[in-house]
Amino acid sequence: MSYSDKKFDAYTINQDGQLMLAKAAQDQVETVWDRHQAQQPQCGFCEMGLSCRICAMGPCRIDPFGEGPQLGVCGADADILVARNLGRMIAAGAASHSDHGRDLVELLAKVAEGKAPGYSIKDPGKLRAVASEFGVSADGKDDLALAGLLADAMQDNYGTKKSSLTLLARAPQKRRAIWDKLGITPRGIDRETSEMMHRTHMGVDNDWVNLLLHGLRNALSDGWGGSMIATDVSDILFGTPQPAKSTVNMGVLKKDMVNIIVHGHNPVVSETIVAACQSPELLKLAAEKGAKGINLAGVCCTGNELMMRHGVPMAGNHLMTELVLVTGAVEMMIVDYQCIMPSVSQVAATYHTKMVSTSDKAKFPGMEHHEFSPENAHSKAHDLVKTAVENFARRDPGKVLIPVEPQEVIGGMSIEAILGALGGTPEPLIDAIKAGKIRGAAGVVGCNNPKIKQDFGHIGLTTRLIANDILVLDTGCVSVAHAKAGLKTMKALDLAGPGLKEVCGALGIPPVLHVGSCVDNVRILVLVSALANALGCDISDLPVAGSAPEWYSEKAVTIGCYFVASGVFTHLGPMPPITGSMNVVKLLTEGLNDVVGATFAVEPDPEKAAKILIRHIEGKRKALGLDAREA
Amino acid sequence: MKKVVVHPERCVGCMQCMLACAVAHSQTKSLFGATLEHPRPRPRIHVGVGPANAGFPNRCRHCDPAPCLAACLPGAIFLDKQNETILIDPDKCINCASCAMACPFGVLRFHQDFTAPPNKRVAVKCDNCEQRQSQGLIPACAEMCKVGALTFEELDEALKRKTDEIGHSVIQGGEPPAGDSFTLLKAVKKAQCELTRR
Repeated sequence: MSYSDKKFDAYTINQDGQLMLAKAAQDQVETVWDRHQAQQPQCGFCEMGLSCRICAMGPCRIDPFGEGPQLGVCGADADILVARNLGRMIAAGAASHSDHGRDLVELLAKVAEGKAPGYSIKDPGKLRAVASEFGVSADGKDDLALAGLLADAMQDNYGTKKSSLTLLARAPQKRRAIWDKLGITPRGIDRETSEMMHRTHMGVDNDWVNLLLHGLRNALSDGWGGSMIATDVSDILFGTPQPAKSTVNMGVLKKDMVNIIVHGHNPVVSETIVAACQSPELLKLAAEKGAKGINLAGVCCTGNELMMRHGVPMAGNHLMTELVLVTGAVEMMIVDYQCIMPSVSQVAATYHTKMVSTSDKAKFPGMEHHEFSPENAHSKAHDLVKTAVENFARRDPGKVLIPVEPQEVIGGMSIEAILGALGGTPEPLIDAIKAGKIRGAAGVVGCNNPKIKQDFGHIGLTTRLIANDILVLDTGCVSVAHAKAGLKTMKALDLAGPGLKEVCGALGIPPVLHVGSCVDNVRILVLVSALANALGCDISDLPVAGSAPEWYSEKAVTIGCYFVASGVFTHLGPMPPITGSMNVVKLLTEGLNDVVGATFAVEPDPEKAAKILIRHIEGKRKALGLDAREA
Repeated sequence: MKKVVVHPERCVGCMQCMLACAVAHSQTKSLFGATLEHPRPRPRIHVGVGPANAGFPNRCRHCDPAPCLAACLPGAIFLDKQNETILIDPDKCINCASCAMACPFGVLRFHQDFTAPPNKRVAVKCDNCEQRQSQGLIPACAEMCKVGALTFEELDEALKRKTDEIGHSVIQGGEPPAGDSFTLLKAVKKAQCELTRR
C-alpha cells in the first residue's frame, strides 16, 4: 500500500488528525480512510437503495436506467425496496438507542434493590420529577423505593402493554394531535422496532408510504422513548450536567501520565472508570510506576457523557478513534458498544495499548473481554485501571507523539443548565428570538464520515450559522469538532453575529452550546417543546432546524426521522440510500411538509447548507409575524 | 459480428461482471466452487475507479493491430481471425510482461490458471468468452450486467442507439435521459469529492 504522496489535509481539517495520519503511515497502520479508498467504487445499487437481501428468493437489484429488471423476484418495485431498506436502518438505530436505555433502566432497578455497589442516585430531584411524569408519586417513599417503581414503569414503555409512550406528554398538544391523526403515535419502544422487522419481511407491508409512516413511528419510539429514558436515567444516576470547563483533542493525552481512553456509549461503564481513576491506591501505584497520575479521556458518545457530567476531556470523535491509539501513548482503551470499529484492536497491536471489551453484546477480535454487570462493575473497573497502570511500563517513549496542545471547551449544557443560565425560564431566550437578536436555533449533530473531509462540514456550517445570529446546539461527534475549533469558548463570540454575541455575552454562554451525547439529542426535543409551549405554537412553527452534516450511522437516520416527525426541518450532508426511488426522495424532501410540517434536505456543501438553514429559519420567523431577513 | 460493448456512463460499480468472468473461467463454473479452487480463478475484466469514485468496467479491446501481439517475444499472442479475438497460448507464454508494457489499457494480468502449465504464471486477458459462445451462450460479463453498462450486440446497433440518444438530448424539447436518480447520486458524489479539495 502506498503512503508516499498522500495529502492528509484532504482527509481532515484537524491538525491533530493530519499529524496522526502521517504517523500512522510511518507506523504502517491502516486507517478507515485507507479502507474507504480500497472499497471504491462502492456498489451503486446499494448506494441507491436498489438492492435487496431480505429473502432467499433474491438477492435482487433494480436497474435505475429502466431497462434491466424493474422488480425484485417477489414483485417489489424501487419504491418498496428503498422504503424497506430505510425502514430497517431506522429499526437498527432505534434498537441501538433503546437498548442503551434498557441497560440504564435495569441498572436503576438494581440500584433500587441495593444490588449495584458503587452506583447511587445522584439527582434525587430529577428522580422525583420524572417519576411523577410516569404516574409514580414520591409521597412517603424514599429515593430507592421510588427508583424501583420508576424502573418498573419505564420497562412497561418497552413492551406491548401501552398504547402510547409516557414521555410523549412533554411534546406540545398540537404535535401529539398530528401523530394521533396520522396513526404514528409510538405505542411501545421494542414493539415499534419489532413491527418494523415484521413489516419489512417479504410479503408484508408493500405500501411504501405506509411503511415509511411506520418508520416515523419507529423513530419516535426512540426519540420520545428509548433515548429519552436513557438521558433521564443517566441524569438520575450520574447527575444532571452543569456547565464546566474541559479540554479536547489529542493534546489531552499526557506524556507523563497513565492514559486510559473510554470508547462507546453507555455511562453505565464509563462512570465506573471515572471512579476507579480516582482511587488513592491506584494513584499511588501509578506514582510508583513513574507516572504523574492517571489521565482519563473519552472518545465518542461515552466521552460526551463524561465531559457533560465530570468535565473529563475528549481526545477525539469517530474518525479519530484509531488515530488516538497511533499517539502510542494510550495504556488501555475500554469499550462498551456502538461505533467501535473492529479495526481498533489491529491499530492497538502496533503499540502497547491493551484493548478491553465490557459487554457481551459487543465483542471484538483482539480485545480481552471483561463482562460488566451492575453487581461487579465498580470492582472490575478498579481491576482494569490497575492493569492499565501496570501497562505504563510497557510504553515505548520512542513511539510516542502527542502533536498538539489541548483546546479549551465549555461543556455541560443540559436543558436544566441552559435554563439556569437564562435565569430559570426560557423567557430571555424567547425574548431574544422575538426581538431578532437571536434569529433562531440550530441543532448541529451527528457523526463523521470519510466521504466528507472530517469536520469540514461541521465547522463550515456552524461558523456561518453563528455569524448569522443563529444559536447552535451540538451533540455527538459534532461536539468534538466544534470544541476543537474553539467554538465553545467565550472567545468564540468574536465569530458570532452582533445579536448573538450580545445575548450570549450577557448570559455568559458561548455561541455554540454542548448539549451532550447522541441520546442527549432528546434534550433538544425537550427544549423545542418548552419553547413551543411557551409561544403557544407547534414545534414546526419555531425558527429552528437540525443538521447532520457528516452522518454515517443507522442511529443518525433514526434521529433525523424523529426530529422531522417532531416538526424540525433536518439537513443531511451525505445522501441516504434513497435515490433509487424519486418518489421516496420527493416525499422526504417535500411531501412530509404536508404530513408532519417538516422535511429533510440533502446538501454536502456546508456553504450551501448554511444558506438553506438560514433561509428556513428566516422563513419561520416571517410566518410567526417576526422580523425576517431576506436570505 | 456481435461484440461486448461498454457504456461507461451506466456503470454503477457493483463489480458483478468481475465475479461472473472469474466464475466463467473456473473449473467448477459455480461461484462458491470457484472460491475454493486452486489456482483461484481471476477475472479478465476489471472495474476501475474514475472521477468522483465512479466505476469503469475495463476489458480488452481486441485491438487490430494489437500492440500486445506485436510485443509478444515467443509469439504466444495470436489473432483468431474468425472470431476477431486476440488470444494467448499459455503454453508458449514466457511471462515476460512485454504485452502488459505495450497494452495502453492495462488489461493484462499475470497469474496461475488451470488452463496453463501447473505452477506457472502466465499472461491472462479477456478471451471474448469463446468457449461460452461456442456453446451458444453470450460473454459472462454482458450476461451478468443488470444496468446495460456491458451489452452484447452489433457495434453498429449500439452506436445507432447512442446517436438517437444524442439526437434527443441535443434537440430542444427532448425527453430527459433515463436514470434521473443515478444522475442525482453522481451529482452528490461529485460534490462530496470536490469538497475534499477545499
